[in-house]
Amino acid sequence: MSDSDQQGSERVDVDRQQGHGPANRQLTDDQRKAGRSAGIAFAVTVVAGVGLFVVYFSGGQNQLEGILFAVALGGLGVGVGIWANRLLDAREVVEERHELTSGPAGRQAFEDALAAEVGPVLGRRSMLVKLLAGAGGALGLALLLPVLSLGPAPGNTLKVTPWARGKRVVDEEGELVTLGSVPEDGFITVFPEGHEGAADAQALLIHVRPGSLKLPADRLAAVPEGTHVAYSKICTHAGCPVGLYRAENQSLLCPCHQSQFDVADGAKPFFGPAARPLPQLPLGVDEDGVLVAQGDFYDPVGPAFWDMNRGKR
Amino acid sequence: MMVMERSFKYLDERLGTASLARKTLRKVFPDHWSFLLGEIALFCLVVLVFTGTFLTFFYNPSVKEVIYDGPYEPLRGGHVSAAYDSVLRLSFEVRAGLLMRQTHHWAALVFVAAIVIHLCRVFFTGAFRRPRELNWLVGIVMLFLALGEGFTGYSLPDDLLSGIGLRIFYSVTLAIPVIGTWATYLLFGGEFPAGDIISRLFVFHIMLLPALLLGLVGVHLAILVLQKHTQFPGQGRTERNVVGKRLWPEQTFKSISLLLFTTAVLALLGGIAQINPVWQYGPFEPFNVTSPAQPDWYIGFLDGALRLGPPWDLNLFGFTISEVFWPAVLFPGIAFGILTLWPWIERRFTRDRAEHHLLDRPRDAPVRTGIGAAGLMVFFIMFLEGGNDIFGVLLYVSVETITRILQWGLLVAPVLTFLVTYWVCKSLKRTHLRPAQVNAGVRLSRSASGDYETAALEPASEELEPSSK
Repeated sequence: MSDSDQQGSERVDVDRQQGHGPANRQLTDDQRKAGRSAGIAFAVTVVAGVGLFVVYFSGGQNQLEGILFAVALGGLGVGVGIWANRLLDAREVVEERHELTSGPAGRQAFEDALAAEVGPVLGRRSMLVKLLAGAGGALGLALLLPVLSLGPAPGNTLKVTPWARGKRVVDEEGELVTLGSVPEDGFITVFPEGHEGAADAQALLIHVRPGSLKLPADRLAAVPEGTHVAYSKICTHAGCPVGLYRAENQSLLCPCHQSQFDVADGAKPFFGPAARPLPQLPLGVDEDGVLVAQGDFYDPVGPAFWDMNRGKR
Repeated sequence: MMVMERSFKYLDERLGTASLARKTLRKVFPDHWSFLLGEIALFCLVVLVFTGTFLTFFYNPSVKEVIYDGPYEPLRGGHVSAAYDSVLRLSFEVRAGLLMRQTHHWAALVFVAAIVIHLCRVFFTGAFRRPRELNWLVGIVMLFLALGEGFTGYSLPDDLLSGIGLRIFYSVTLAIPVIGTWATYLLFGGEFPAGDIISRLFVFHIMLLPALLLGLVGVHLAILVLQKHTQFPGQGRTERNVVGKRLWPEQTFKSISLLLFTTAVLALLGGIAQINPVWQYGPFEPFNVTSPAQPDWYIGFLDGALRLGPPWDLNLFGFTISEVFWPAVLFPGIAFGILTLWPWIERRFTRDRAEHHLLDRPRDAPVRTGIGAAGLMVFFIMFLEGGNDIFGVLLYVSVETITRILQWGLLVAPVLTFLVTYWVCKSLKRTHLRPAQVNAGVRLSRSASGDYETAALEPASEELEPSSK
C-alpha cells in the first residue's frame, strides 16, 4: 500500500521544509470525494455510538454491544485512514542519520566528569570502597530474607498424605465405602474419612475382574477380595487427576497428556510421558464391611521432585 | 484556536517544549506494512490496560468458599470460590461486563500473537544486528512478560480448566533440579492447592508484570527513537539516512487509524466470539478434570512438549530428575536461551560487527532464515501435539498414533525445513530480483499547476554476486 502513496510525491529533505503550512490550496476532485467518504465514515460512528447508548440503557446485550462498538471504532478508523491516505500531502521525506557514538573523546570526558569530584578516595582497592561493597552486599542479602516468609519449608509434606493405618475410606460426599459400593468394572474417587476433597489424598478405587491383577503377593494382600484395588489419582507425570478408566483393557488414561497406566500390572505406565506407576494404596476391610487403609501410599504421590527418594517419609 | 495557542505558550514558557515538539513532529519513519506489527501489539496492550482496569473493579482474588446464587441456573447453590463467583457475576450481572472480559481475553491472545509475528519480522530481516542488540533484549523480556501476563490472567477465574493448568505449572516448577521444591513452595505458598496462589497471581497480573511491561515499552520506544528505524533497501535509501513519512501528520494519522481498527476487531471478537466460558468448565476441584483440555494458544507448545516428552526420569546419587524436566524446563530454557542470545550467536559466526540500518530480506541470509524456519517448525509441531486429543477425534486417529508421528516429526521436520528454506533462499537470490526493481516502472509527479510529469525509474543497483558453482 505504501507503493501507491509514493506516486505523485517528491522527496524532501526533512530539515529543509519551512513554510510548508496549511496554505489555502484548491481541493482536487479526488480530495473532495475522499472528504465525503471520511465524513460518511464519521457519521456511521455517530449512529453506532447512539446505538450503544440505546443498547446499554435497555439492559445491555453482549453481541449487540460488541458489534456496535466495533462499528463505531471501525467508522472512526476508516475516516482517519482515508484522511491519512488521501487528504494528507503524502510525501516521502529523507532524514539523515546521525552518528550514535560520542567517540573516544566524548567517553573520556564523561569518565572524567564522573570521577573528578569523588577523586582519590575512589581508588578501586581502597579500604573504603571494599567496606562499601561489603555493606551493600550484606544489606542486599538481608533484604532478600522476607522472601523466605512466602512459603513453609517443604520438609516431607510432599511425601506423605492424610492416609494412615485404620483410616476409613469415603467417597467425595463423605459416605463410607464398602465392597458393594462399586460395581465390577466400575471405579470411584475416594478419600480418607475427614479429608474429603484433599488434593494429595485422592485415590481411585477400581473394582477389577477377579483374578486379573498381576501384583506381587504382598501388594495383592492389600487388595480386598483381590478385586478392590486403589491407586493414587494424581498423575505421576504432571499432577492431573487421572480421570478416565477403560474397563476393557483395564487401563487408566490421564486426559492432560495421555499417559496410560496398566491397572492389572501395578498401574505401571505403558504409553505417554509418565515414568512412574501410580502409587498403590494398601486397603483392608473392617468388621463392618467398610474399606480401611492399611497405611499411606507405598510411594510418594504425584509428579517427581528433586529429593523424593531421599530421607525418610 | 485561541485556547490552544495560549496553552502552547504557557507550556513553552515553562518547559520550552515548542522546539522539541517541532523536532519530534518532523521525525521520519519508513513505511512498510511489517513495521506496523509492533504497533498492533502496543495497541492490544492499550486495550488490555483499559478493559483490565474495568475487570479489577469486580474481580475478587479470594478462594474463600461461597455459595453461588446468581442467574446461571446450572451452578446455582453450588460451592464455588469467591474468585469464580466474582467472574460469573462480572459475566452475567454487570452490564457490558462480559464484553469487557471477552475483549480482554481476545486482546491478550492477539497481543502475544502480534509480539511473536513482530519478533519474526525483526529476526528474519536482521533488524537485531548492531546497534539494535539491546532493543532485541528488551523485546525478548517483554515477550516473557507477556507470556507471564497471559498465564497469570488465565488462571485468575479459578475455574476447572485453569486450575488444571496451574496444577501442571506447579509440577513443572517442582521439576527444576535442586531448588524446585523450595521455589515451588515459596511461589505457591505451600503444597498444591495452597490458598494463597490466586491472590499472588493477581498481584503479579495487575501490578508487577504490567508495571515492568509498560516501563519496558517506554524503553523499547525510546531506543527506537534514539536509533531511528531500520528500512528496507531501495532507491535513495542508504545506511546513512531514513526515507519515509513524517511522524506528523502522516504516521500519526495512520497509527490512530490502526489503533481504532485493532480495537474494533477486538471489540467485535469480544462481542460475538465466545471465549473461555468458565461457567461451562465449572469451579476448580483438585480431583476433577476436563477433557479435552487445551490452554491458550501461546502455552500450547509447552503442553504439547509435555505430551511428546519421553518417559525418562533419572536417579542421580539418590536425587531425582523428573521426566517433566526435559520438555518443560530444559527445552524452553535452551530454545529461549538461543532466541535471547541470537544477535551474539550470529555475530560469532558471521564476524559482522558493522552497524546495519538497511534490512536484509530473508533470502539475503539463507542460514539465518533456515534456522529461524526450523525453530518455528519445532514450536509448530509441539503446538500441534498440544491438540492431539482434538485431532484424534477429528481425524479418527488414535492419540497414540498422532503422538508417535509427531515425535518422529520433531526429529525430522526441522532438518527438512532448514534444508528447504535454505534452498529456496539460495534460488531466490539467484534470480537477482529485488522488489524495488520489479516495481520500478515510472515515477509520476505533479507540479503545482497541476501538470503531470513522468520519468522512468532506474532499477535499484544490484551488486552481482560472484557466480559460485
